Amino acid sequence: MLAGYDTLITTVALGAILAYSFYVVLMAGQLSLGQAGFASLAAYTSTLVVPTEPLFGSLSPVLIGIPVGALVGGAAAFVLGLPVLRLRGVFLAIATIAFGEMVRVFMTNAEWTRGALGMRLDKWVTIDLAWIVVAVLAYLFWRLGPSRTGRAFAAVREDELAAGSMGVDVVRTRMASFVGSGMIAGVYGVMFAYFFGRITPGSFDFGLMMDGLVTAVLGGYLVFFGPVLGAGFLSAVPEGLDATGLEAGWVYPFFTGLLLLAVILFLPGGLSSLFLRRRRRPKPVELTDAERAGLFAGYSEPGTEIARVRGLGKSYGAVQAVRSVDLELKSGEILGVIGPNGAGKTTLINMLSGLEPPTSGEGEVLDVKLGQTGRSHRFARAGVSRTFQHSKLFNRLSAFENVLVGTHVKVKGTFLKRLLWLPSARREEHLALAVAWEQIRRVGLEDRAHLRPGSLSYGDQRRLEIARALASYPELLILDEPAAGMNHVEAGELAELIGSLAADGITVLLIEHNVKMVLDTCTRVVVMNFGEVIASGEPREVATDPKVVEAYLGAEDTGESQYV
Amino acid sequence: MLQQLANGVFSGAIYALFAIGFTLVFGILRHLNLAHAAIFTAGAFVGIELATRSGIPLWLLLPIVAAAGGIAGVLLERVAFRPLAGRDDEHFAGLISSVAFGSVLIALLQARYGTEPQSFPSGYFPNQLYEIAGVRVTLVQLLTLGLALALMLGLAWLVSKSSLGRSMRAVAENPTAARVVGVNVGRVTAGTYALSSSLGAVAGVLLSINLGQANRDLGLSIELIGFAVIILGGLGSLWGAMAAGLILGLAEALTIHLFDSTWKGLVAFALLFAVLVLRPKGLFGSVRVREV
Repeated sequence: MLAGYDTLITTVALGAILAYSFYVVLMAGQLSLGQAGFASLAAYTSTLVVPTEPLFGSLSPVLIGIPVGALVGGAAAFVLGLPVLRLRGVFLAIATIAFGEMVRVFMTNAEWTRGALGMRLDKWVTIDLAWIVVAVLAYLFWRLGPSRTGRAFAAVREDELAAGSMGVDVVRTRMASFVGSGMIAGVYGVMFAYFFGRITPGSFDFGLMMDGLVTAVLGGYLVFFGPVLGAGFLSAVPEGLDATGLEAGWVYPFFTGLLLLAVILFLPGGLSSLFLRRRRRPKPVELTDAERAGLFAGYSEPGTEIARVRGLGKSYGAVQAVRSVDLELKSGEILGVIGPNGAGKTTLINMLSGLEPPTSGEGEVLDVKLGQTGRSHRFARAGVSRTFQHSKLFNRLSAFENVLVGTHVKVKGTFLKRLLWLPSARREEHLALAVAWEQIRRVGLEDRAHLRPGSLSYGDQRRLEIARALASYPELLILDEPAAGMNHVEAGELAELIGSLAADGITVLLIEHNVKMVLDTCTRVVVMNFGEVIASGEPREVATDPKVVEAYLGAEDTGESQYV
Repeated sequence: MLQQLANGVFSGAIYALFAIGFTLVFGILRHLNLAHAAIFTAGAFVGIELATRSGIPLWLLLPIVAAAGGIAGVLLERVAFRPLAGRDDEHFAGLISSVAFGSVLIALLQARYGTEPQSFPSGYFPNQLYEIAGVRVTLVQLLTLGLALALMLGLAWLVSKSSLGRSMRAVAENPTAARVVGVNVGRVTAGTYALSSSLGAVAGVLLSINLGQANRDLGLSIELIGFAVIILGGLGSLWGAMAAGLILGLAEALTIHLFDSTWKGLVAFALLFAVLVLRPKGLFGSVRVREV
């Protein structure tokens, strides 16, 4: 039945391979369009090493070309990635397009490539070989999806800052997806060359890249078989059009254009999202006693110093957001930071969690020195976890998956182990699921675990962010205005939750405008104004400090504050 | 040498005219509109058909093409961008939907005009040649240059001085705040697309006049050059796009003069690449880095 369709079916496989090279960057949220350049470099390099005779008398010589292609493509992506991965979004897209065009012009002008005339090669790629490569790729991405690495990709796609704060090394994750894309594009280049038997520099142009991108988007970049589906569909359309007698040259681009438009407007997850089962409620997983004991291992003794900063300052141009702050944090305390808007509270905790480097002063948090940018994952790995003033949740993941990302620093990498079906992968995944369950239950969201953050109430979103932060079993938890937008019942429950964290041995740094809550919950309070610490001490002392009353609480008389 | 530089200025003016439409949409709405090249191509085909069928003069033809481009722009905004507003993947999805819109448009052009290049009727514009300081220029080239400059200055005036321009800048700064103070954001968005697309369509006619013909791939090469222009100039900067268009035209002319025409493509992209890596906000831009 398939006789006569060999070429078509092999083309589907090639289209899928190209689409996978887009899939791997899109799933990490990177819009890279350098694949044509990688494919071109790989294809031309492979012509230097692929022998003209079958290996051992029967094996296709492309079996040598494929690893070479992957190597060349991956290496090219790495070298290109070093300068361009500082860019994001359209800037990254345009820089990578420029790379592809430069490769094309270079190949056209080089002598050994025979320029625009191109090279003739033997056709060594068979239908079986093409589909074996597709199957290997599909298997890789199937195992990648629910692994720790797969979750890191998704987290980087949804929100880089939040991903970093959960311990994901954003720079490495982006580079990994970029190099992966280069490797797959390299394999594609070699397969292309030895399937069609001819390459020219123009074989790998901007148009090819758009085809790959379209295939990946059409199939969907959230499910591992999306690229295959996209490639199959794009090849089926002209066959179907032939069958109905519509053969004019414009009909195919017209229909694929309409199809793509319809998919992106009405089915953002691509065709493969049609095959996704409906979001089910995740099944509860319980922590074993051994796992629970392991989670709290390594916590500092109550009362030891876990953070200390001296003369910390931050200025943005002429604006001095924080000036010369001295601060210590002792294990087990709940430190409240209060102060009027613009007092520098958020800037202070951004420095403490590694999001921004200080411009003056120095300090250490859990033995990590303040100072480097883009290294917030180091702080997370050392045991700092935080929430954000404006929730930074991963919008296209479920509430439960959000919390799962939080377990990043508590479980070991599982991608390679999952590839080999090692039992340790199952153990690590069990730990991740159980931790996520524990925390989502702790904040009372277990019956909404399958929903996306966007469909949760404001207060629920804040609680979800806390659960995500707790899933890393932090030693130091930093909460940036967690009660903002909560009613007083919710705020009361939150205060209780914070109190219970301290009982677990977690140190809490709480920024909050709800002064009553701070005074009730915290063991120590720091008051900031105009970037400086103006008072610090026990809640009761601070609340009656005349400087504080004047600067912040706003009462005219210097007597007892209404909050005490 | 001088001759080549003059040619560089002419093509640079067309690059700039193409790119300011591109950059206008990005600067104000943060959309990377990949259908711009298709509208550019459509402008050229519509212009040729009008000239062939009715023989109307150029001064009348250009406004008609501009109007057609404007309508296409409004349609594009309605179909490919408005439905995505507020979605998590708004920017990425807009990029894809504009690619889709562009390929549908090109397919329709193919349906009507086939795959053969279309030409202006012979003698449609005077073949007059001038020689200035040893440089030969045609009347058409001078016209193109003058018109491109006039349109760019007109756009710059519109954005900086008119009330539509003020609303545009308000939307660029903060769409929500603009809505709060009574700017009709939907209308400004549609207006921006209309303006951008009519400039693109006119640029298409001008290029095809200079080439004498147009084919389906007319937009493809200029789209890549358009990226280079808007990055060099700084995404969203009108003056930057104009200057960068001219610089690129000149740089290409110089490359052809010094090396070989096959290396032409490398200059634009090497420049682009260097600017992106060394100075991502562009040579003239002050726009912050935007994310898709």
